[in-house]
Amino acid sequence: MFLAKQNNGKTHKLMMQETVASYLFLLPFLIFFVGFVVYPMFMCVYTSFFDATMGRADIFIGFQNYAELAGDPVFWKGLKNTLIIVLVSVPVTCIFSLWVANCISKMPVAATSAFRCIFYLPVVTGSVAVTMVWKWMFNNYYGILNYIGTATGVIDKNINWLGDERFALGCIILILLTTSVGQPIVLYVSALDNVDKSLVEASSVDGATDLQTFWKIKWPQMMPTTLYILVITTINSFQCFALIQLLTSGGPKNSTMTIMYYIYYNAFKLYRYGYGNAMGVILALIIALLSAVQFKLGQEKN
Amino acid sequence: MAEKKRSVYDIVSFVLITIVAILFTFPLYWIITGSFKTKMDIMSVTPVWWPSEWVMDNYDTLMSKRTAPLFEFFGITGPTIPAAIRWVVNTVFMSVTSMILTCITAAMAGYALAKKRFVGRGILFSLIVCAMALPKQVILIPLIREMSALNLYDTLWAAIIPIVGWPFGVFLLKQFCEGVPGEMIEAARIDGAGEVRTFVDVVVPMIKPGIGALAIFTFINSWNDYFMQLIMLTSNSKLTISLGIATMQAENSTDYGLLMAGSALAAVPIIIVFLVFQKYFTKGITLGAVKG
Amino acid sequence: MKRKSLAVLLAASMIMSMTACSSKPAETTAAATEAAKETEAAKETEAAKETTAAAAEAAGAPVELSLWTYPIGDWGDQATVNELVAKFNEAHPEITLKVEYLTYQDGDDKVNTAIEGKTAPDIIMEGPERLVANWGAKGVMVDLSDLWTDAVKGDTYASVEAACHDASGAYYEYPLCMTAHCMAINRDVFEETGAWQYVDEATHTWTTENFLKAVQTLYDAGYANVGAVFCGGQGGDQGTRALINNLYGGTFTNADHTEYTANSAENVKALETLVAQDGINFDPAIVGGDEINLFVQGVLQMAFCWNIAQEVNNAETLTFDAFPMAFPSDDGVAELCGGIWGFGVFNNGDEAKIEAAKTFIKWACDENTEDCVKASTYWSTRESLADMYAGDEMKTEYGQFMQYMGDYYQVVPGWATARTEWWNMLQKVGAGDDVAASVEEFVKNANEAAK
Repeated sequence: MFLAKQNNGKTHKLMMQETVASYLFLLPFLIFFVGFVVYPMFMCVYTSFFDATMGRADIFIGFQNYAELAGDPVFWKGLKNTLIIVLVSVPVTCIFSLWVANCISKMPVAATSAFRCIFYLPVVTGSVAVTMVWKWMFNNYYGILNYIGTATGVIDKNINWLGDERFALGCIILILLTTSVGQPIVLYVSALDNVDKSLVEASSVDGATDLQTFWKIKWPQMMPTTLYILVITTINSFQCFALIQLLTSGGPKNSTMTIMYYIYYNAFKLYRYGYGNAMGVILALIIALLSAVQFKLGQEKN
Repeated sequence: MAEKKRSVYDIVSFVLITIVAILFTFPLYWIITGSFKTKMDIMSVTPVWWPSEWVMDNYDTLMSKRTAPLFEFFGITGPTIPAAIRWVVNTVFMSVTSMILTCITAAMAGYALAKKRFVGRGILFSLIVCAMALPKQVILIPLIREMSALNLYDTLWAAIIPIVGWPFGVFLLKQFCEGVPGEMIEAARIDGAGEVRTFVDVVVPMIKPGIGALAIFTFINSWNDYFMQLIMLTSNSKLTISLGIATMQAENSTDYGLLMAGSALAAVPIIIVFLVFQKYFTKGITLGAVKG
Repeated sequence: MKRKSLAVLLAASMIMSMTACSSKPAETTAAATEAAKETEAAKETEAAKETTAAAAEAAGAPVELSLWTYPIGDWGDQATVNELVAKFNEAHPEITLKVEYLTYQDGDDKVNTAIEGKTAPDIIMEGPERLVANWGAKGVMVDLSDLWTDAVKGDTYASVEAACHDASGAYYEYPLCMTAHCMAINRDVFEETGAWQYVDEATHTWTTENFLKAVQTLYDAGYANVGAVFCGGQGGDQGTRALINNLYGGTFTNADHTEYTANSAENVKALETLVAQDGINFDPAIVGGDEINLFVQGVLQMAFCWNIAQEVNNAETLTFDAFPMAFPSDDGVAELCGGIWGFGVFNNGDEAKIEAAKTFIKWACDENTEDCVKASTYWSTRESLADMYAGDEMKTEYGQFMQYMGDYYQVVPGWATARTEWWNMLQKVGAGDDVAASVEEFVKNANEAAK
């Protein structure tokens, strides 16, 4: 696009200068990025063609790891669960945080600020601590959820929330939600703050309802924020690991098994590095695809 | 009419949000009060909402069970202190360093990607977008091999570097840099400012809210990056607080009091950071439109 | 101004980073790197040259060793270990010991990562299931056969010795202490409901029939949760295996420890009995540690993951008499699963270090056995020290279980896979899947990994 003009000597020289300057600016980042993300990713692809384990040289086996993956039911289960987590938690996080932000932004400043902090608390409390408390709340024998549930008659007997394959994944998603809405709420509040007030007033003078004002005026202006939130929430959901490691180890009956946990399990419990890496490659491809789709959508809407 | 209707909606949502807010506050409340409870209170089957007796036992255990030198500096070993303090120092160092390095590298790279046209820009940006959501577990095994080859394994740098290399910050600050008017950069150029001057004096002040947001995001992320720390750090004096507390547990028995005391200790600094930095969130974060 | 403050911040962070980074002395790392099991011959000769050089100056030269311990009694407690190390240094001032403490939750990950990162410790303290079946089988451990003199072999319990070497006869473990994992019951509740009649108080044993009657009695008396077959992960899984194998005399592996045999008719019957029994829950939400907590809290009336350490750890919060019991068996004679702990040495390729490591191990297991065993709170693996706790009431009570020590089968290849498959199988059985089919699948998967 820049080269649309005639490519004479002068612009070429300018272009070179600009490129050199750009890479000097990029250099510090590139050292870290190429050295500790791109290179390991490359090694990951490479190792996925080997039978690699501890204590002996790697053996080249071609696509055998991938072939084994295709026939591994736990892998497919893990893939399914990972996608469920992402597909449920991303929209719910976005909608929930938008609703909360919309409500608290209309409150007095002190209240807005207090609520913003409160919804951020699980993020700062740390996953290990939050998980410990939730485990207690979900406890089969005396957990508070069962207590409230039976007291109000919603459930007729105690449910083993984390031990029942019908509920375990839902519980994981619920905890994930509480630790991931903090930032979206903060961002939405500030985005709502920055919405052009004159447009909002003009629209209500025109007799538009709150809902109409929201959709016609506020929502379009918040699109960049929404896209940003979509991106970080997707990242968050894919990285959901500590919860599973600390609560269920992928059980019961693999109902909370995710690709991430399965990679970890293969690499660190069974020392199957090549197999784990092959899974990593598949996951990376899926994520790259998803990111591309998100971006295409984001660009079109703009 | 309309006024009344809205206020009903407001009241309902206020009540709902208050209920959810209580649920959100609960874990921290439970941990902080729990850290002052007696063993009997903690083990009680009926919830003890408020400590029947406030005790410091859990903090005493936390502070006395393990010790570590305050610092080790080229063979010089600092005074021996409770290991928990060292772990907090480690965690703060790790988070602050990743925060600073990330902000600097991401601001520079984000500026170049947003405002400059150069060979390879498109490819680089696609790579960044694709790598952004990549979970660290995927590259874990090669990363461990690499860290040990560089003699960084079991140092805090092994936990810091992958965070700095993660391209999310670049993506974020690129969006902010898009919002800097090109004319301002041009004007600075015409005034004779060089590349560095333009960046430091014109661009950085304009993307400050973005840097603030990234700073807090990175700080909290690395503070909570349990997995990377777990894999990369082993020595008693290199641990972070959450790892350290974990190593103090006996076989098949979890000392919940100790765990809660440690978690409370770990939460305090980060809450302070949040309160200090949160003004950056309120001061007009306007994310620029996304362009490839 | 602003840039200045930024510069100061950066400088400060640099200084701090150096503090944090002055990790291990360079030579340690170099040695560790060298230690990697290289296949290239060139590197091997190079390493050999270096090790001879190192061995030559080993005599009195100072050596720094790293020792990693799992929380085996007070071997996970810094103060106790420091005392032992100080005592060791009186005899061997030239050897410096750097101790790190692992947990069962993430210790394996750390050791595995360290092996991968070529920074494995010199000495590790754990049981044969890790030292022999896991790391030993992977070829990263040193054969300690020279420590196993005939005198040592003669004095060590045969079942312990059998567990400490692999099929080829290489000893990867030098044992220090052992215990018998048992179960516990809430004596107060048993007496109150009349279930106490099913317990043989003198021998701490019961038959399967009486066990089931006792559970039913408690259940009928209103205790809905009598016991839990925990299967949320591998924590404490020896308890569930011991329970199931003992009920009708099934075995977990064959006698040669080469194959899993858990699909026997006896084991299937045991699982079916447990599933059908009122008051016994299969709980995939808890692991052994959680089960112990629930028992101590009085929610469960019996614990399957118990040994003397649990009684000591929970002394403060136990409000009832926790009565230790052998696992129920149809002939009344239980085969308890033991815990054996001792030392192993990682092959870091440095002769001097390996020698120093052996010096420490000999000091701990041969020369100062009693102190070191007492630190673990368990019993010695030497027959000559069988009475070392004479006069201690609790130790005597728990000491009775040592006679029921069964085969130490946790050394079959593919152990890591088998453990995971085990609790996965329990989860399926608990959720109502067909018992025989689930156990069959367990054995198939575990044996595949054992090949």
